[in-house]
Amino acid sequence: MARSWNPHAMQPHGPARTRTAPPQVPDRFWSAPRMRRYLLFDATGLVYLLIGFVILRAVWALGDGGEAWARVLRDYRNPLYLLFHAVTLLSVIYVGVRFFGLFPKAQPPRIGPVKPPPRPVLHALLYAAWGVVTLGLLLVLGGVIA
Amino acid sequence: MKTLLLKLEPVVWLLFGMGIMLGTILLPGWLLVMGLGAPLGLVPESAVAFDRMHALAANPLGRLVLLGLIALPLWKGAHHLRSLSVDGGGHARDGLVGGVLYALALAGSVLGILAVARL
Repeated sequence: MARSWNPHAMQPHGPARTRTAPPQVPDRFWSAPRMRRYLLFDATGLVYLLIGFVILRAVWALGDGGEAWARVLRDYRNPLYLLFHAVTLLSVIYVGVRFFGLFPKAQPPRIGPVKPPPRPVLHALLYAAWGVVTLGLLLVLGGVIA
Repeated sequence: MKTLLLKLEPVVWLLFGMGIMLGTILLPGWLLVMGLGAPLGLVPESAVAFDRMHALAANPLGRLVLLGLIALPLWKGAHHLRSLSVDGGGHARDGLVGGVLYALALAGSVLGILAVARL
């Protein structure tokens, strides 16, 4: 059994020469493994939304002074915060691996006169940027680089 | 609301795209040090002491990175949660859900600008 779906999805701009069926989604569309991976990708949105506010609180505390900052550091030792940060890290890695795999395939053949680099090169560049920025933040925030 | 969301779609997509790309690139470093390393004692306390962190955060590059760490994940999160709501059959409530989620992301982004401005 299928239910009707977004009535505007895939709608032609004008009358088509051939009749088309309205878009429908199967009731158990989520049971397909690829759809579950896609839904999990969407669901990471909750973690991203929460981490944005968690970091906002930390930066706000930095503006409030040493006591507020110490309170944030103390709260971060709470097991719930630790669990949340671990889940967030896993979510970010999942999003990165999936998105950086999709990104090269979504590029147009050329942008004006410029052709994008071959897909494997683009893929490697994304991972290089991810690695360099992560390493840089680790060294700076971790106190290795003053 | 749906009409307004359709008009805002290019801006929302730009922020969502930046969130998924730059937010994902920036977040692991913060999470590994501030979220896990420091609380578990793997990072020296002096590294995350107030004076050092404030000095790092208050320089222009520090403010920019922190604003990116706050605002970009919010837009990625808001747009993907809206998408998840539609996938769950919530087309009829899409205007309300999208409006609330983008309002949250906007409020967080404005507060993020204020937070880095007052450092």
